[in-house]
Amino acid sequence: MKNQMIKVYKDLMGQNSLWAEKIRLILKESKVTMINLIGSPGCGKTSLLEKMTTLFPGKRDFAVLEGDVETTHDAERLNALGVPVSQLLTSGACHLEAKMVYHALIDLPLPSLKLVIVENVGNLVCPAEFDIGEHAKVAVLSVTEGEDKPVKYPLLFREAKAVVLTKIDLIPHLSFNKDACLNYIKQVNGTVPVFEISSLSGDGVHSLVEWIYSL
Amino acid sequence: MHEFSICTNIVESVIAEYEKIEPGPVRLLKVRVVVGKLHQIVPETLLSAYEVLTKGTIAENSQMEIEFVDVCCQCNKCLWEGEIDYPFFICKECGSGDIALIHGKELYLKNLEVEYDETG
Repeated sequence: MKNQMIKVYKDLMGQNSLWAEKIRLILKESKVTMINLIGSPGCGKTSLLEKMTTLFPGKRDFAVLEGDVETTHDAERLNALGVPVSQLLTSGACHLEAKMVYHALIDLPLPSLKLVIVENVGNLVCPAEFDIGEHAKVAVLSVTEGEDKPVKYPLLFREAKAVVLTKIDLIPHLSFNKDACLNYIKQVNGTVPVFEISSLSGDGVHSLVEWIYSL
Repeated sequence: MHEFSICTNIVESVIAEYEKIEPGPVRLLKVRVVVGKLHQIVPETLLSAYEVLTKGTIAENSQMEIEFVDVCCQCNKCLWEGEIDYPFFICKECGSGDIALIHGKELYLKNLEVEYDETG
């Protein structure tokens, strides 16, 4: 018996990257911007989208792709507000992959849209790994989580084009150290913009929306 | 648990690459994957995933070796280049946070080690 080494050098995200490229092509052709919203379960991703809708009642140029492990609850919440929304159920998988997003995307009325927001499955690790052809990953972190999340999950905060700090109206009731949190974000991604928002009062949501539409 | 998703891709790639080898070997002994530390892969989990996902395939009983790559950056201000104190993306020379990633996001199948019988 003799052994032989076979060189391969094959990208292990190859299949996902192909689908992500297809998505980029469609987005470019239809002049639509796509945002990939990533944060823990319960950090306020859906509430932020609800607030965006109610703050801008005339704006109907965006759609949402709602990623969840189970149930259509989040899609129903947004649908009740008149937002075009498709639910992507992963049935256990902890992130969305490009192939799944592609099929949902082509079912949207793209010619009437300027923006698609993908609300990824609540998780700070896996969704950061998967390119879904988006223009920007946006990391969502709430003040009820630890200040040090950015250094615990560096890939997400490093990849993010913006960080949204949610539930800031709760700060007076918490021991959350905002300066320490902002410093941790800076240590992982020195140039990323941070938007401090409250989906309850609407504080900060305008500037986030302006930033998204400027992409 | 992104190790399982990533490992699904590894096993698919391994089988596809193995089947391309001409002339066909007797068996697959070892696979080597290169993983940047930014992926936060737990090696034990990836290895268990490999064992589970290769069951009943030509890769069953082959070994996986993981080569980790450190996170290295270049500073956009002073052009310092080197390994950072991960997870802190801070230039070790001038302290700037405006630095670009050079290494640490790799994720690829590097090579396969296969066995031939002597007459082959």
